[in-house]
Amino acid sequence: MAASEAPRLLVPVQRSVTLRQTVDYAIREVLESDADEPTVHFVSMATWRAGDPGTNTDRNRAEDLLEDIEIWARYECEEAGVDPETVDVETALIGLDEYLFSPSDYAELLTSYAADHDLDRVIVDPEYSLVGHTTLIQPLEFELQQTDLAVEEAPVDRPTSRGRLVSRPNPARFLAVFGTSFLFYQILGGFSGLFDLVTGLATAAVVAITLSSVSFYSDPSLTESPKRILRGVVYIPYLLYEIIVSNLLVARVILDPRLPIDPRLTKVKVFVGSGFPLTTLANSITLTPGTLTVTAENQELYVHSLLPFAREGLFDGSLERWVRFVFYGREAARFPSPRERGDTEVLQEPTASTTAVTDGGSIDDTPECGSEPDDDSEPQGGVDR
Amino acid sequence: MIETARISLVVIFAVVGLFFTFVSATGVIRLPDVFARAHTASQADTLGAGFGLAAVALTLGWEPATVKTVLLLLFIFVTNPTAAHAIARAAYEEGIEPWTTGDERR
Repeated sequence: MAASEAPRLLVPVQRSVTLRQTVDYAIREVLESDADEPTVHFVSMATWRAGDPGTNTDRNRAEDLLEDIEIWARYECEEAGVDPETVDVETALIGLDEYLFSPSDYAELLTSYAADHDLDRVIVDPEYSLVGHTTLIQPLEFELQQTDLAVEEAPVDRPTSRGRLVSRPNPARFLAVFGTSFLFYQILGGFSGLFDLVTGLATAAVVAITLSSVSFYSDPSLTESPKRILRGVVYIPYLLYEIIVSNLLVARVILDPRLPIDPRLTKVKVFVGSGFPLTTLANSITLTPGTLTVTAENQELYVHSLLPFAREGLFDGSLERWVRFVFYGREAARFPSPRERGDTEVLQEPTASTTAVTDGGSIDDTPECGSEPDDDSEPQGGVDR
Repeated sequence: MIETARISLVVIFAVVGLFFTFVSATGVIRLPDVFARAHTASQADTLGAGFGLAAVALTLGWEPATVKTVLLLLFIFVTNPTAAHAIARAAYEEGIEPWTTGDERR
């Protein structure tokens, strides 16, 4: 591995159980080659955007992590009997000015960072993960193979081969699950006396012990979680109103003898964050009649829409804005709609024969297609995979 | 007087629930393909069941059982779209192309 040329390494970092070993490995790698001025850059990629509300803790956490890494790197150099000053260790927090979601976004960012700093080799922590529960290594490796960077996985001993969905025991999660199930038990029992209290405690304990490690993917916090629940309560009446209004419109169409439907598959890129917020949005879209979430790929939702008005509503993104409001607060709700961002796409363009409906009459003056067709939208049959 | 208002509200809710369930059933029969049917099968039904349960809650009055109907309603609002999504996704992964106006009816 030792090259005469000074190694220039890029290591994307995120808190993980094997991060320390990855850092050590990277340092050992540069020390092994006895070239002058080896360089290691440890970069943390922001999964949020600077200035978004509630991201200060994320930022502090990332900066703490980078500080830790500098200390580890220095320690590792000293352990190997090398003056830490001879190794150029740099840390950086990148991607603050944009939302990154898919592995290709991350790969793009890494590639441009590597180009800017003239780095030629990437070492990835096998437990490296930014997107949900999946490790990023395989998709990232795949994306980076398209570039001329050399990619490798740091050899580490994993302490256990734990399942990814299962988190370590954690009192906050345990208490949240315990409290919720206890309250639920009491509601079902109608708050009726000592017997229910005792059995409720026992049941809640069993539920919390067995399920608290899979119920959350981030810790519930005393400040944020109640706020989210409150904002969710504000959201429910709005959702009900939307459901009733569009249900009436859909009912009118279904009962119309001519059945003037105009179904299309559409694709919308949404920005709500992965995991629970995305599920909430997808479920809200499906709950609103006329739109049905078919599948989700990263942050792209494939939505089947029955009527032009439903498509319009979807592209106006009011549900997306509400979900952002529920999870991130009022500030985050101010956001351009998918239409303004250009993140909408009608996958099935109307064909020439659209107006000649074969059964059930013709479409009256409804527009052919809910939105201005995107330039790059696929022709009919674009849904085949 | 209040009793009359309550009973009329119960009747109204039950009838509205019935209406949406009827629309849902009609949609399943009339709409052209699996995607369009998944729309109406789940969504119109959500309101149908919703108004039905609201009628039940009003009939019961202020009792512990009423809370349970509200909980039932909440669960329907979570599970119904999930089921519709599962059906649509299965169809999509089978490679079924959604029907558009102009296609032959399946």
